[in-house]
Amino acid sequence: MSAAIGPSKRRLRGPRFGLALPSFVWYTLFFVVPIAIVVVYSFATKDSTKRIPVDFANPSLQNYRDVLDPDGVFFTTFKATIRIALVATTLCALIGLPVAYFVAFKVREKWRAALLALIVIPSFTSFLIRTVAWRIPLAPNGVLSGWLQDWGLTDGPLQVLETQTAVQLAIVYNYLGFMILPLFVALDRIDLGMREASKDLGAGRLATFFGVTLPLAAPGIAAGTLLTYIPMCGDYVTATVLGGAKGNMIGAMVASQFTSARNWPLGSAMAVLMIVAVLLTLLVGVIAVWIVPRIVRLGSPLVAPIREHVYRRGLAVTASGPARRARPEILKLVLAGWAVAVLLFMFIPIVLVIVHSFNAGGSFSIWGGASTQWWGALFRSGDTVAMLVRFLLIGLAGVVIPKVVFRMTGRIGPSARRWIGVAAFAFAVVINGLVTDWYRTIFRDANIGDAMRNSFTAAFGATVIAVVIGSLSGVALARRPGKWTSIFLALVFLILVTPEIMDAISLATWMEQLGGPFKNNIGPLNFGLLRLWVGQSLYASAVVTLIVRARLAGLDESLEEAAADLGATPATAFREITLPLIAPALIAGALLSFTLCLDNTVISTLISAGGVSTFPVALLSATRSTIKPFWGVGSVVLFMVTMAALAFVAAVLRRSGESSSQIAATMTGS
Amino acid sequence: MTNRPAPLRILAPESFRQALSRRSFLQIGGAAAGVAFLAACGSSDDGGDTATDPTTAGTSASTGGSTGTGVLGNYSNVVNKASGTLSMYTWGDYNDPEIIGALADADLGVSMKVDYYPSNQDLITKLSASNGSSGYDIVVPTGPYVPMMIELGLLEKFDKSLLPNILNVDPLYLGRAWDPTNDYSVCKDWGSTGYMWNKAQLGRDITSWADFIATTQNEMSGQTSVLDSPNNVTGMYYWANGIDWTTEKTEDIDACEKFLVDEFAQHVKAFDSYPSTKIAEGAYGSSMVWNGDARQAFVRIAEAGGDPSEWKWSLGSPETELWMDNYAIAAGSPNPEAAHAWINWLLTPEISIKDLNYHGYHSGMKDIDTLLAQLVPDLVDGDMIFFTDAEVATMRTGAVNSAEDRIVDIMNKVKAKAGG
Repeated sequence: MSAAIGPSKRRLRGPRFGLALPSFVWYTLFFVVPIAIVVVYSFATKDSTKRIPVDFANPSLQNYRDVLDPDGVFFTTFKATIRIALVATTLCALIGLPVAYFVAFKVREKWRAALLALIVIPSFTSFLIRTVAWRIPLAPNGVLSGWLQDWGLTDGPLQVLETQTAVQLAIVYNYLGFMILPLFVALDRIDLGMREASKDLGAGRLATFFGVTLPLAAPGIAAGTLLTYIPMCGDYVTATVLGGAKGNMIGAMVASQFTSARNWPLGSAMAVLMIVAVLLTLLVGVIAVWIVPRIVRLGSPLVAPIREHVYRRGLAVTASGPARRARPEILKLVLAGWAVAVLLFMFIPIVLVIVHSFNAGGSFSIWGGASTQWWGALFRSGDTVAMLVRFLLIGLAGVVIPKVVFRMTGRIGPSARRWIGVAAFAFAVVINGLVTDWYRTIFRDANIGDAMRNSFTAAFGATVIAVVIGSLSGVALARRPGKWTSIFLALVFLILVTPEIMDAISLATWMEQLGGPFKNNIGPLNFGLLRLWVGQSLYASAVVTLIVRARLAGLDESLEEAAADLGATPATAFREITLPLIAPALIAGALLSFTLCLDNTVISTLISAGGVSTFPVALLSATRSTIKPFWGVGSVVLFMVTMAALAFVAAVLRRSGESSSQIAATMTGS
Repeated sequence: MTNRPAPLRILAPESFRQALSRRSFLQIGGAAAGVAFLAACGSSDDGGDTATDPTTAGTSASTGGSTGTGVLGNYSNVVNKASGTLSMYTWGDYNDPEIIGALADADLGVSMKVDYYPSNQDLITKLSASNGSSGYDIVVPTGPYVPMMIELGLLEKFDKSLLPNILNVDPLYLGRAWDPTNDYSVCKDWGSTGYMWNKAQLGRDITSWADFIATTQNEMSGQTSVLDSPNNVTGMYYWANGIDWTTEKTEDIDACEKFLVDEFAQHVKAFDSYPSTKIAEGAYGSSMVWNGDARQAFVRIAEAGGDPSEWKWSLGSPETELWMDNYAIAAGSPNPEAAHAWINWLLTPEISIKDLNYHGYHSGMKDIDTLLAQLVPDLVDGDMIFFTDAEVATMRTGAVNSAEDRIVDIMNKVKAKAGG
């Protein structure tokens, strides 16, 4: 027996990190090297006579001194940014925890999926248009301002726009979803028995929450903090759109060194310091959250005895616990009210975007009466109908073809059927866009059709890259662990925690120096698109890597080993066993990266070439002057397309038997 | 937004407004502006045209009203077909959406993509970093930046045989110092800088740049926006203090930096090159603004249900800017043929005037008053587009010189300081 396992296992393993090699190369070339260059730049001086305005003749620490000078002009922005991000992260946790708690414990399974969807949906609308939409209610001449004055709550018009308050509010709004989801996943994993045991042992509601639930939810809080605090620190969009001069943040300040100020060395030093600041505050946070409770023995003293109690009780007490005291409904009602309020808050900008897409005026944010004129431009011809019909036909083909193939051959597996469905959908979107120019016809006046097409093409290409290299390295991490694992995971972690603005400026300068396909079209390959594919694929592939790794880590390797024992080659075992196993993770990863890429603003803005602007890039550029209402129309259309894709994938996942909790868990990579 | 009835107040003195039988106003305004433009620019050689300009303007104006297409017949109207897509990198909201949308498609067969920048520095950074691979076909630099861009190899030389309609441009606006033979650039339009303020809130008028600065430091502290353009912000200081805004003297620049960073920045609410929409939202109480955008602001204010009569606009005084933006073709343009066709098309009278009516800047067409009388007889707020002789005499053309680096640095510090 052991003799049989030996050789086949060797065959299965192959080179240890071979599968992760593509990712290694990719990350080195487009993450490590460009960031190293930025670090080098940060010691140089500005020389605006050069094309790359950097002079290495007198390397010094002057840029760092300029930024860190407490009396200097740049330091205050650093302090303000860290403060805004810390306050916003705390607020997100305080606002999000009751919602996650409510969804995890107080809602029946069938409602849970719907609630989770409602929490996620706002994230699928353009980040940028949601931020812009906050200008509508907050405007000094706006409705809210009018009410507040009528009720005598404020003296004059509401003065929130172009202040740190506006940035603070919108940043909490923009990242709240990224806090709630991991919190939910963590809470959802808590064994109900633990909480009940705590009560059996006489702990009150509060004691149970602080003694059991919260400590067990700590991983979720940590994940949520990472997912919100880091991007907040590098946020470029919110401050640009709402902050004015007062709400300036580091991200915007760094970007301006690479655009208007042409001071790349100073900008590089700022970016390096930003990362240092982010890591330092995180370190302090880790110390505060993990070490302090351990020292004062405040956090988890109840958990160990309760575990013991649960264990001892075993099955003696029925899991359903019919003898439990009746739960008072008040807490549930309060939580439900809170969750509803938070959901309303999350949907305010989206409702405003939809309403203002029916604006008769010439500016998106200023209501000039109701009109369908901007929608009329969209639906004025039969082209739109033709486009919808094509979508439908190709989508149908995706459903019908697998069935026919199944009838004929009788050997197509459920996972293959799923894949053909997904492929047909992606095909319908891409083919409809690439071949038939619908985007141009239906947005003839609006000048955004191309931007939407570019968004889809860019996100599609980047997703393909991300899924291919991410799934390979994810498999390698889970199945071929070794010394390389920690280095590679550190790299992936670094990609995830590096504020996007840093990637943006380093890639932008690096691609200029690389030249080749990044500066010239080679055959049909458009260099602008290639830049977007590469730029958007970095973060997305890191996400896919973690999702796939998490999925495989939870699955026994014995299936693959059995396949090898039965004589399957590594390739066959991968195709027949591993691939179907990780299919849900791939679908979730692909969906997540497609959505992330579709909405990618910061990297895309700084690396994009003229004529290949994506929707967010073009919209950000439009925010520099008057935003026309058709941007609202475009956002709504984009939103609907994204939602259709989401609904489709969710349906596929549900048919494959994944519960909402599992889907959420898969998508947050935990 | 064209053909609005005119509920808006025309922002001219009462006496002037009464004389505003549209055509006579345009006649005076347009022609006078032409002469004064020349004087203000202190341009070198082409004085000969000044004498003829007012007369031609006068005569064609008198024919303009009666005959229909007669006047348009005097213009070159070549429209070359092109194909493919055309990418333009330009200032915000700077063309009629129809012209860069359906009309470009219908008339030229070209599909337009447009990105926007807020300052010349942004444009130059983008183009120079990419060194011929920016992907843009058309860019719109301000005059003084053109020589620098030619030198850096950022612009493509025109094939003038593809630009026959250049004949339609008033010779006053051709052969400027920055490109004497128009080999790289041709006038898109020109305008000036001033301030707009909420009179109902301030309770008085802003009378000069010094007053604008003082107001910003006091009543309008935290409610003022200034242009997100380095030269305009330093220019404001120089204009207020009677210093030539093209100064290269270190002591001038040092004083400017000290004042703006230490005494001015903290009062600024936003750096905004296109404040019109936010003015209408009520976000600013006073703003430094280009004249065309100020004109748009009155439309937006009315649209937002506000009262435009509460607002006033004035050219900066005692001195202010005179800028001229130019169409040019970016080096490495993927579609130069379409770029030429598009620029040439923009120089046809109908398109040029249609565009002017949108963006609100003098487009430099010859006999522009006649054209306007015929094509846009109900032009709104014409006095914000066409300036009087006396007004143009106070305008100064900028320069890109050894101070440029410092000016950009100052702006960088002002922006950082404003956040503190």
